[in-house]
Amino acid sequence: MIFSELYSAYYNAVARILREAVLHPVTTEEMRKIIADNAFDESALSILPALTEGRWPLLRKDGTTPLHAAPTMPLTKLQKSWLNAISQDPRMQLFLQEPAVPLPYPEEPVLFTKEDYYVFDRYADGDPYEDDAYRAHFATVLKALREKKALQLEVRNRYGHLMQVTTLPSHLEYSEKDDKFRLFGRASHRSDVINMARIDSCELTEVEPWMTARKQTRAQQDKVVFDLLDERKALDRVMLHFAHFERQAEKLDEKNYRVTLLYDRNDETEMVIRLLGFGPLVRVREPEHFVDLMRERLLKQQALDQMPIVNGSEEGPSPAD
Amino acid sequence: MPYSELVKNFNKIREYMRDFYVYGFKGREDFDAKSTRTYDDERRRIESWLSDYMHFQNTPDGKSVAITIDSRSGKHNPFYKAWKAKSFTDGDITLHFLLMDILAPTCVSESEDNGVMRGLPLSGILEKVDAYLSASAGARTFDESTIRKKLKEYQEEGIVLSEKEGKTVYYRRTPGFEEIDAQVLHYFSEVAPLGVIGAFCADKQEKEASLFTFKHHYITAAMDSEIMCALFEAMREKCVVTLETFLPKEKRSSSGIFVPLQVRISVQSGRQYLMTYGYDARRIMSVRLDHIVSVKNGAPCPEFEAHRKKLATMEPNIWGVSTQSWSGSRMEHVEFTVRYENNEEFIHQRLVREKRVGTVERIDRNTSRFSADVFDSTELVPWIRTFIGRLVDVQFSNAKLQERFKKDIEKMYSLYGLTDSSESGLRDITGSETPGEGATQNEKGGETP
Repeated sequence: MIFSELYSAYYNAVARILREAVLHPVTTEEMRKIIADNAFDESALSILPALTEGRWPLLRKDGTTPLHAAPTMPLTKLQKSWLNAISQDPRMQLFLQEPAVPLPYPEEPVLFTKEDYYVFDRYADGDPYEDDAYRAHFATVLKALREKKALQLEVRNRYGHLMQVTTLPSHLEYSEKDDKFRLFGRASHRSDVINMARIDSCELTEVEPWMTARKQTRAQQDKVVFDLLDERKALDRVMLHFAHFERQAEKLDEKNYRVTLLYDRNDETEMVIRLLGFGPLVRVREPEHFVDLMRERLLKQQALDQMPIVNGSEEGPSPAD
Repeated sequence: MPYSELVKNFNKIREYMRDFYVYGFKGREDFDAKSTRTYDDERRRIESWLSDYMHFQNTPDGKSVAITIDSRSGKHNPFYKAWKAKSFTDGDITLHFLLMDILAPTCVSESEDNGVMRGLPLSGILEKVDAYLSASAGARTFDESTIRKKLKEYQEEGIVLSEKEGKTVYYRRTPGFEEIDAQVLHYFSEVAPLGVIGAFCADKQEKEASLFTFKHHYITAAMDSEIMCALFEAMREKCVVTLETFLPKEKRSSSGIFVPLQVRISVQSGRQYLMTYGYDARRIMSVRLDHIVSVKNGAPCPEFEAHRKKLATMEPNIWGVSTQSWSGSRMEHVEFTVRYENNEEFIHQRLVREKRVGTVERIDRNTSRFSADVFDSTELVPWIRTFIGRLVDVQFSNAKLQERFKKDIEKMYSLYGLTDSSESGLRDITGSETPGEGATQNEKGGETP
């Protein structure tokens, strides 16, 4: 069962308090901090008195515990089944030094298999996780990130030319839609973002002073405001589609809504085509240059509509079965 | 009952969290099915779990609540916090830590097991629990049946084992507590189904910062984790299920018997669907996971594999999740042609990369054509619209859809002032459409080196 107190923030916070109490008398301030780090805003109001007033008799008045060892908990069946399931994922190879064992917990079933679920709209040109060179680069990048080392890279640009790039990596970004990893860092190149699949060679190198002195560039956030007509379930579709952006929605009347959302400037083209996808149920209001981008596409389309059809329509649609 | 941050039933807060996050403009009066007190309690709970992401806005209709998260800037799905808010009793938590401590010496691996410590009988455990409690100031005690019940519960969870010798049952902790690579947990807890379970694993380990962030990351699926888990279990057991679903349009629940076959996940719209054989409809269909209220396993289904095979044969004709045409045709044909400049080769690549079914043909250096036979061509409409500005021809065998596609484009011209049509302004638009898929992204793909 997923919704179980065994996994609860309260149990986690109390486990961490008791772990300290096994080593030394734990103070109220320490407890308060552990609770804040591991549970919710108001949790201290419940956990502190329960522990100190003996409702949960796990802590003595002097801040020590009657427990003999720091609390741990074995993995549950559910956790083992999930770990079995992810061990079958091709992306798991990216994290393994040696070939994986068939199942890490053979005593438990696999929670889900590739027959049980299917991501139906992921792009077809994802990163090559089974490629040895890609995996070697990924391992080196992970090592650099863990050990806070810099990387000397040879990267192929979109024209196929090799470039030398030095970077102090900060993190890897993964896009579920693109099925690609991108490496972020402070790089010698004009862009601080490198597509993992475009790396040709990758070696650890020492951190140089310019890397720590330089600020990592961040894509500027831009704002787009659009009106939405709630026909054809558009409200549900649009709000869920753009749910991963920081945004604000306002109800104008029974069927009309205004949505403001923030996006990275680098993703402007993506935003234009995503909004075009909603057709006449969405109208961009501002900024003006974004409205112009929408209008530009429509003007091009209008021009194409006036032209005679040269391809594609001669055969017409095949009859429905 | 006095207010608590914790809840007994997750479904109680599922709807609130979803509405606060997905819509973000609803106020108390929009949650008409619930009492004011319930609304206030749930809002306060969610605020307590997700205070960093909560926003309040005063509108003419009252105060609205929104959960706003730029999922690209975070490393962990904030909604997992809700799954860590299960309520429990004072006895539950006390007994948990005592039992884990008492049974810790019994937790040895097979190779270490020399037979010295096989486990503890219930009487031995009871004795030790009493010894712990007598040292504390409180007057707490546990009777034998409570401890037996808890041990049984822990056996079901897999953290305690039992074995019988003669008439005595011996209990021991399940061996094995090894640290799992924290980065594996951080990554897969965000990208794999039921990722919340990975987050549970990470919680029990030494903390290590995640090295990953996520783009195009839909986090609402977290709220349907228990439903998805129950469906996977039913698929493993190849059994039928009784699904209680909520029909938002009709604002009522419905119940039916289904064979769960596959969960289809969209990484472009944030939705998850169950592909299932419905006994009432007598066909394979889709049900949105966020519309499922409960899953109850039934008897094994002898036709499970046959239904799965049938679904596999249907897949080359399913664009999204729809298995039935709105036109009444068994199959619909759709094709469109795009034209691009010499330096826009990426448009052809977009078609190849983004098509899920069907074929892409290169007509000439500047022209490509996509075509497919699908059950429901309305599902392709949003994708086709993303090529606006390049479409030289679009053909649907569904004549009504052909007409509507054309009209929609004309309405768009009007909305952006490109025609004098009287149909300007969103309020003039009417029609009906099945929930289509989301659009695509950056046309050129990854632009970075």
